[in-house]
Parts: sequence; structure tokens; C-alpha cells
Amino acid sequence: MNQETKMGPAATLVATVIAFVVVVAVFYGLDHFVMSIQGLPLNADLTPAG
Amino acid sequence: MKNNSPRQLISQTPLAILLWVIFLVGFVPGISGASTVQAAEGTGVETRIAPVGRVQVEGQPIVEVEVTAADAAETELIAAPRPSRKDYPNIGVSSRAVVWILAQMHLFFGALVLAVPLFVLVIELTGMITGDDRYDDMAHEFMKISLVGFSLTAIIGGSLALALFMLYPDFMAYMMRVFGAQWLVYAGLFFLESFFLYTYYYGWNAFRYGNKKWLHLTLGLMLNASGMTIMVLANSWATFMMAPSGVNEVGAVVGNIWEVMKGPLWNPINLHRFIANIAFGGAVVGAYAAFKFLSTRDPALRAHYDWMGYTSNFIAILAFLPLPFAGYWLMAEIYAYSQQMGITAMGGILAWLFIVQAVLIGTILLAGNFYLWSGMSRTEGSVRYQWLIKYIAATLVICFLIWVTPHTLILSAREIAALGGSHHHILGPLGIMPAKNIAVNLMLIATFLSFQIYRRSDKVATVSWAPAGNALIVAIYVVAVANIIFAGVYYGYFTNTLYKVGSSVIQVVSTLVVIITGIVIDSLIFKNAKTLPSHWGRIPDRAQYALFALPIAFTWLMGLMGYVRSSVKTHWHVYTVMKDNSPDNFIPTIGYAGNMITIVTVLFLLMVLFMFWVANLGSTRQPEASADGGATV
Repeated sequence: MNQETKMGPAATLVATVIAFVVVVAVFYGLDHFVMSIQGLPLNADLTPAG
Repeated sequence: MKNNSPRQLISQTPLAILLWVIFLVGFVPGISGASTVQAAEGTGVETRIAPVGRVQVEGQPIVEVEVTAADAAETELIAAPRPSRKDYPNIGVSSRAVVWILAQMHLFFGALVLAVPLFVLVIELTGMITGDDRYDDMAHEFMKISLVGFSLTAIIGGSLALALFMLYPDFMAYMMRVFGAQWLVYAGLFFLESFFLYTYYYGWNAFRYGNKKWLHLTLGLMLNASGMTIMVLANSWATFMMAPSGVNEVGAVVGNIWEVMKGPLWNPINLHRFIANIAFGGAVVGAYAAFKFLSTRDPALRAHYDWMGYTSNFIAILAFLPLPFAGYWLMAEIYAYSQQMGITAMGGILAWLFIVQAVLIGTILLAGNFYLWSGMSRTEGSVRYQWLIKYIAATLVICFLIWVTPHTLILSAREIAALGGSHHHILGPLGIMPAKNIAVNLMLIATFLSFQIYRRSDKVATVSWAPAGNALIVAIYVVAVANIIFAGVYYGYFTNTLYKVGSSVIQVVSTLVVIITGIVIDSLIFKNAKTLPSHWGRIPDRAQYALFALPIAFTWLMGLMGYVRSSVKTHWHVYTVMKDNSPDNFIPTIGYAGNMITIVTVLFLLMVLFMFWVANLGSTRQPEASADGGATV
């Protein structure tokens, strides 16, 4: 019942690392966007800029 | 079963097209009217929430109304009545208690009969698209359960109207004047709804296949359109009482009916009730399925009712997931309209009720999750995911405990001395909103994870990039959870109030990202997947009791939050424009309210049992008596 996959362990590891990097970047941008549209800007380190 | 393409069927059914046009022209603008008007005004939140008639706030000077001579000549402004104690009939028992019970019962049944046709229509459509008659039969059975509910809703609604006119004559006279002809529209909609209800239900088998199925679906759509219009009209009365618009500071009508209806709380209540009704309806019909499952040993029937119970639970929990966000919007609008009202709800006497609310919501989520985990035994493929269940359960329990932790405690002087203050030094920080926001969002994510692994249990992915897709899903879960905790802890405890409140939106968005991307990625991964056999009916009996727990918790929860919503008006019939001078013009104590809510919940559940019994009676046939007095089969 395992997934019928054509990806090897190395490719899966690379995919996992890339996935985490992309998702972290997306959520970082999302935090800035969501707070800024409420008039609550953030600094690059996510501390309040207001 | 005859099959035609949907495009062909639509073009061949003029009546169906006509009904669709009526729906689009008549219903859609009705629902979206308020937002359309608001959008046209193009104003900010403060302008939008300001009532058309200016409202006098206690403690502030009365705002002078500028009425020109032309206006005065054109419209006779009549202020809201100011009844004294003697204007309220005394019937020997609390008038408020009578109206409370009737109104809450009407709301329960109204919610049920408005919600069931909504998902019945979707299930019927699914059956038509897939060509699987089981969907059609299940949808028909759902309608059969709720049919008695329509009569009960009408009977209780009529009783409520009589009670209101008898016990609160001045208030009802005022409401009649404010809403005018809208009452007749409301009454007319009942005729329309009844027409569509009976033709939809009794025409089920007559319009079952081919072009006639489209006609039947259209009848269902019109049933829902008339039902939803009834709901939003009734909602406007409740929201007018909380946040009046279209009237001046003495309650005289100065706006048209749209301005009266489109108060600041109308659309938040519309959305909240719409979603909550679906969750509630799903929970009630789930109990019916559980009752039928437990009362039969026939494997085929058990399989059918197991599937029906699963579908009901799916509807209830799926509708429940976005409900906290709709509730959040409603409370935000209440605060924006009147901070005093918001603080009365969440910071004053009613604040403790939100702890009780947490207990009930925790019960719903635990029951819903338990049912899903039990249901995983239907397929062997679930062994791949069962290791996750203990972590989901731990998350739910920990978050539940955080959510029910109160901020303030009712303590004696000795207890305060022993505690070292009014707040516990470790548990105290868990009593405020940032901790609870984290807990709620993590519970929702955990519940969605249960859904996701359940849905995956009977599938094996065949796409080559499945491991990469899984890695992406895991990354989204991990980062979203970290983001929710970070936003709650950092902005909630270490920054100012504005950032604390604003960060809750980050948490909501993170949760929604998990849910939406989870659905999208899974649907792509499992496209053309290999399906493992599912054994419907192979579920422990104890799982059915979770389906009984859901409607009980939902009903009590609706009663509780209805009490909160109504109580925030304090001593006003219509907030700031018409005072309540009856003997009951105070917020009842929590203990009294608890008893009232329990009475109404028990009454409702008894009537639901009656509804199930009647639904069952229709398919029961007495065996013919033989000559010797025994029964023949």
C-alpha cells in the first residue's frame, strides 16, 4: 500500500528542503502583507515598525 | 438511467431556465443588497457602521436632528413608544421566559429546516453528476427527516408571534411600523417556500431522471432561495434590535426599508447563521443515522446508515471549521458599533460564558475527531496514518485545556492570599485571548488533519511527484503551526494591543492556508489514485455515540450564544432608541440562563426524537392480522 513513487531518497530530501524554504518564505511574506493591510507595518525581523 | 450532458439538458428545459432567471433576478440582489449599497457608497468602516438615524448614547448630549420643513411635511416622524411597567401584560409567569423558550425553539427548528435542503441539494447534484443512485436516496431520506420539522417550525413560529403581540404589544407595534410591508413579504415567502418544499419532496421520484432531474434540482434551488431569503429578513429584525439603523435618536423612521435592514451587524449575522445552520443540520441528521445504525443488524442497512452518518459528520465538521472566523467577524463588528456592547459580551458578566462555549466547542471537536478516527477502521489503508492519531489527540486535549482556562477566578480572601494574587502565576497568562487564539487555531488544524488522513486512508497515490507533494504538505503544516504560535506569543504578550489584535488575523490566515492548500494538493496527488476497498458498516458501535454528542453540544451552544447575543442589548428592546420597562429588563444571572438553555435544549431534543419517530413511521407497515389473531408476514 505504499505510494508508487519514482523519486529516490535523495530527491525526496532535496524536495523536502526546498519545500520548507519556499513555505517559510511564503509565510514570512504573508505576515508582512496581512499586518500591513491592517495599517500595522513590520520590520524585516518581524518586530512592529509602527 | 438516462444520461444527457448538462448543457443539453439545460437548453432543453425552458421551465428550469425560467426558474433560474427568477432566482438570479429576485434572490441574488436580495442577499447582496446590503453589500452592494455599501460598496456604492464607497465609504470607510466608521461611515458604514454608522446608523442612518443617529443614535443617542447614554451619557452623551442628545444630537439635534435636522428635519427640513419639506421633510416634515412629507413624512410624519413618529418616535418609538416609551411603555411604562403597566403597559406590559402580567400573565403570572415571566413573559421573557415564555418568549425565550418559544423564540429559541423556533430558531432551532428554523436552523434545521433551512440547512438540510442546502446540503440535500448538493448531495442530489453529486448523485446526478456521478450517476450513483445512493446519493439520491440518501438526499431523499435527509429530506424525509426534516419534513416534519417544517410543520414544527411553523407551529412554534406562530406561537412565538402570538406571545410577542400579547406580551410586548408596544414593542411589536413599533417593529411593525419600522419594517412595514416587509412583514407581508415575509409571510408571502412562506407560501413560496411551502410550494417548493412540497413539490421538491413529493416530486422526488416523479422527476428523477433525465431532463426532469434538472427541473427537480431547480425546485430544490428555489426552495433554498426562498428559505434563505426568509432567514435574512428575520435576521434583520434581530440586528435592528441590537444596532438600529434607518431611525433617528428617538426611534422615528427616517430611512427606507433597505436602510433599516442594512444595519452594521446584518451581514455578519447572516454569514454566521448560514454556516452554523449547516453545521447544526448536519449534526442532527447524523444523530438520525446513528439511531438507525444502532437499531438494525442488517449488514446492508448498517452499511447505508454508516455512510449516511459519515456524510452527516463530514457536513457538520466541515461547516464548523470556518465558524469561529465568522463569529470573530461578528464580534469585531459589535465592538466597532459599540465598545460598550462588546465589553458587556466579552469582558463583563457574559465573559464567563465564553469559557462554557469553549467546553462545548471542545466537545464538538473531540466527538467529531473521535468519529473520524473510529471510521478509519473501514479500510486497511488507514494503518499508514494511525500513528498520527495519538499526536492529534494530545494536541486537541492540551489546546482544549488552554481554551477553558479562565482569566479571572471567583476567590475568597484566603484563596487570593494562598494564590499570591487574583491570577495564577503560571496558568494566568493562558486565560487571555492570545493563548486562546493559538489553542483554537491549532484545534482547527488538528481536526483538518484528521479529515485529511481519513480521506487518504483508502487511496494510494500513483503520481510520480507524490513524495514532493507530501513534503510540501508537511512543510505547510509545520510552518503554519510555528507561525500561529509565534504570532500569538510574540505579538500577544510582548507588543502593544493593536499588534496583539492584528496578529490574530495572521493566525486565521495561516489556518486557512493549511486547509485550502491541503485540499488542493491532496486532490492533485490523488488524481487517478488506486482506491482501496472500504467496508461501510465496519465501525465500532461506540462511534455512533459521538454522533449523538454532536447535536446535543450544538443545540446547547446555540442556546448559550443566543442568550449572549440577546443580552448585550441590556435594558433596551431596541438598543438606545426603545427602552425595555418590563419587569424582566435586566440580564438574567448565568445560573438562571443555564437552566433556561437546558430546558430548551431538552425540549428540542425530545421533539427531534418525535421527528425521527414520525420519519420512521412512514416506512413501517403493520403485518396483516391472520384469522387466529396472529400476524402473518
